[in-house]
Amino acid sequence: MIKGKILIVDDSEMNRSILADMLEDEYEILEAEDGEQAVAVLEQHHTDVALVLLDIVMPRLDGFGVLTAMERSGWIEDLPVIMISSESGSAQVARAYDMGVTDFIGRPFDALVVRRRVVNTLLLYAKQKRLMGMVEEQIRETERQSSLMVEILSHIVEFRNGESGQHILHVRTLTDFLLRALMHKTDRYGLTGDDINRISVGSALHDIGKIVIDEHILNKPGKLTAEEFAVMKTHAMKGAEMLDALEVHRDDPMVRSAYEICRWHHERWDGRGYPDGLAGDDIPISAQVVALADVYDALTSPRVYKPPFSHEKAVEMIVDGQCGVFNPLLLECLTENAESIRRDLDADSDQTVIRESQNIVKDSVRPANNDATASERTLRLLDYERMKHSFFSAMTKELQFEYTVSPPSLTMSSWGAQALGVEEIIPEPAKNEKLRTVMGDDGWGQFSWEMRQTTPDSPTVSFECPLTYNGQTRWHRIVLQTRWTSDTPPKFEGALGKAFDIHDTREKMSALEKKAARDSMTGLLNRAAAMERINSRIQDRPESNYALAIFDLDFFKSANDSRGHQFGDQVLKEVAKRLTHSVRSSDITCRAGGDEFLLFLEYNTDLERTIDRIFHDLCGPYGDYDISVTMGVALPKAAGLGYEQLFRAADTALYAAKRAGRGQYCFYDSSMRDVLSAISDIDEQKGGS
Amino acid sequence: MTLQECYKAMGADYDDVLGRLRSERLIQKFVLKFLDDHSFELLCSSMESGQWDEAFRASHTLKGVCQNLGFTRLGRSSSELTEALRAGNTDAAAGLLEQVKTDHAETVAAIRTTLAGTETREHHPIIRTPSGK
Repeated sequence: MIKGKILIVDDSEMNRSILADMLEDEYEILEAEDGEQAVAVLEQHHTDVALVLLDIVMPRLDGFGVLTAMERSGWIEDLPVIMISSESGSAQVARAYDMGVTDFIGRPFDALVVRRRVVNTLLLYAKQKRLMGMVEEQIRETERQSSLMVEILSHIVEFRNGESGQHILHVRTLTDFLLRALMHKTDRYGLTGDDINRISVGSALHDIGKIVIDEHILNKPGKLTAEEFAVMKTHAMKGAEMLDALEVHRDDPMVRSAYEICRWHHERWDGRGYPDGLAGDDIPISAQVVALADVYDALTSPRVYKPPFSHEKAVEMIVDGQCGVFNPLLLECLTENAESIRRDLDADSDQTVIRESQNIVKDSVRPANNDATASERTLRLLDYERMKHSFFSAMTKELQFEYTVSPPSLTMSSWGAQALGVEEIIPEPAKNEKLRTVMGDDGWGQFSWEMRQTTPDSPTVSFECPLTYNGQTRWHRIVLQTRWTSDTPPKFEGALGKAFDIHDTREKMSALEKKAARDSMTGLLNRAAAMERINSRIQDRPESNYALAIFDLDFFKSANDSRGHQFGDQVLKEVAKRLTHSVRSSDITCRAGGDEFLLFLEYNTDLERTIDRIFHDLCGPYGDYDISVTMGVALPKAAGLGYEQLFRAADTALYAAKRAGRGQYCFYDSSMRDVLSAISDIDEQKGGS
Repeated sequence: MTLQECYKAMGADYDDVLGRLRSERLIQKFVLKFLDDHSFELLCSSMESGQWDEAFRASHTLKGVCQNLGFTRLGRSSSELTEALRAGNTDAAAGLLEQVKTDHAETVAAIRTTLAGTETREHHPIIRTPSGK
C-alpha cells in the first residue's frame, strides 16, 4: 500500500526529526530545511504530497513566503498546510489563516496531538474532495442531459425533413472542429473553450425553423419553384423567432448563440445571402462556421436529388464558390485539415460519441486544452483521495457505519465489523441476530428512534448506548448524520456515523462525582457533603437518637512543622483510618478541614460508652509519634435538632475540653452557650505563631 | 545519572517531555541529538558579528528545540533573548546572551555526564577519552 507523503518544513534538523519520528510509521516523510527548499520540493511533488507541516521563522524564505508561493501556484487550494509555531501572537495566527492554513500546532509538540491533527486534516480534505467530485459529476450529468435534449429536438426536425440522422451530428462535429482550428489560427474572434462548446451545441438547432415549413415543399424531390423557394427561405427567420419567443431564456448565452445560428446560417460572405444580406464579419462567427459545416455535409451526404460527393470534390466546389461565398480564413481551416476532418466524420458514422471525436480533434489540432487537463487532474486527485480515504478508514480503529433505508442495510467499517463480530454488510439490520446480541433487544429500536428525531436542517444526533462484544458490555457514544433526498419534501435516505467507546470516561465521571463529595487525602466526606447527609438523615428519621462529635489533633501544627507536611498527611490518614474502623458504616464521618474531623452517629443506649471507646480508638502511638485528640460532643436534646445547631454546640464543647486541658472529650450543655468558638481560638493560634 | 536525573540537573521538566513524546527511547535519542544542534553556535557567532536577523532566527530555533525537549531553563533564557532580538533591543540581548551561554553550558554538561555511555561515543567519536590501557 502507498503511504501518504508529508512534507516537513523546519530549519531545525532536530525539530524535523522529532516530527518525523512521530509520523514516519504511517506516512512517508519529505523534509525541507527552509522555505526555498520547500517550494522546490512542492514544484516536483505537489500532486502526491498530502500535507505540509510548516514552520514560520526560517532563513531565506519564511513560512509566509512559502504560503505566498503556494497561493500563486494554486497548490494551497488542494494541499492542506498545518503551521507549526511557538509564535502564538494573534496577528500571526490570523495572517496564516487568511493565507489558507488549515490548522496550527504549537510548540512544544505533543506526539498524540500531532498525529491526531494530521489524520483529522487529511480526513477533512478527503471528504471535501469527495464532495467536490460529487458536485462535478452532477454538473457533467446536467450538461449531458441538456445536450441530449438539444439532440432530441433537432432530430425531430431532421426526421420531418427526411434527412439522415447523421446530418446534425456531422454539422456539430465539423463546427467544433472548424472553431478550434480557427482559434488556433487567429485570436480575432476571441473564442474561448466555453464559446466553442456553446456554438457546437447550438449548431444542432440551425434548422429548427423548418418545422413550420409545409411538408410538400420540404420534401419535394425535384427543384423548387421561385415561390416555393421563398417559403423555404423563411425557415431561418422562423427558427430565430422561435428562440426569441422563449421569454425566460432568451438572454441565455446558449440561446443567443442558437439564435444567431438559426437566423444567419444562410448569409454569404459577399452579402448576397438571406434573410438579412449581412456581409463579412457582420455575420456572427457562429453562423459563418455552421453555414460552412452545413454546406460541406450536404455535399458529402446522399440526398434525394444527388449522390454523395467525395471530400476532395466537396472542398473543391466550396473553394470555387459553387455553393456560396465563405470567410477565407474558414476555408483555410477546411482545406488545411482535410485528413482530420474525414477521420472525424468517419468516427461519427461509426456511432462514436461526439466527445471522443472532439478529443481527437483537439489532440491533432492544438496543444492540450487547459479545461481538459484541469478536470483530468481533478479526477486523478479524486481517485487518489478515494483510495486514501478508504485506506485511512480501514486503518483507523473506529466503529464507522453507514445505514441506507432502501434497501435496508447497515455497512460497517472493516475494523468495526471485526471488533463487533458482525458482517461488514448487514441487510435488514432490524432482524439481524448478531446485531441484536451486540446492541441488546431494544438497541436497534433506540437507534431508529434517534435517527427519526433528525430533520434535513438538523441532521446530526448523538446518543449513548451500551454495546456488547468480546464478552464485555461497554458504553458507547454514537454520533450520526442522516442523509435526505433533494425531493420536496425530502425523504430520509440513510445515515453515516461513528461509535466511540466512552466507557472509561463514563466510569471516571461517576468516580469524579463521588470524589467531589470526598476529601481527596483521607477519603472521608468533605464538610459540605457531610452537612447535606446529616440534614437529610435528620429529616428522614427525626425521632432517632443522634450525636455530633467534633475533634481535632493535639499539637498537630507543631508536628507538622517539626516533621514535615508529608508526615502530617500520614497522621491525618491514620486518624481517618482509625475513625472509620471505630464506627459503623452507617455513621457519617468527615474531615471538616485541616486537622478537624467530624462524626455523626445514631445510638440506642449509653452514648457515653460509645464515645469513650471511639475516643480511645483514635488516640495511641503511630510509630514513634503519639496521636492525641480533643473532642466535643453535642446532642439534640441540649443543642437543638439540625446540623448548624449541633455543629455550633459540639464546637463549643470542643473549646471547653481544650480549656480544661487537651487529650479529653466533653459533652455540650447549655451552660457553655456563651463560650467562644474553639475554631477562632485555633485561628488566633495560627495567626500568632 | 539517569535521564531523569539529567533533566533535573539542567533545570528541565522530564515529566512534561515524557508526557508529550511518550517514549524514553525517543527522548534519549533527541537529547543526544541536541549536542549536534548548531543553533547555539550560530547564535553566538551572529551576535558577535552583529547580524541581528540571523541571531534572532538562531535564538528562535534554539528556543523551539528547548521547548520540544522540555529544557525549561535554557528555553526560558533563549526565549527572553529571542524577544529582545525581535524587539531590536540589542543592548539587552548582549546581557541575555550571557545567561543563555551559562544555561547552555550547564545543559550540555549534564547531557555529557549522563549519557557518556556507549551511545554518546557512537555519535561523538571526538570526545572519546583514550583509555589508560
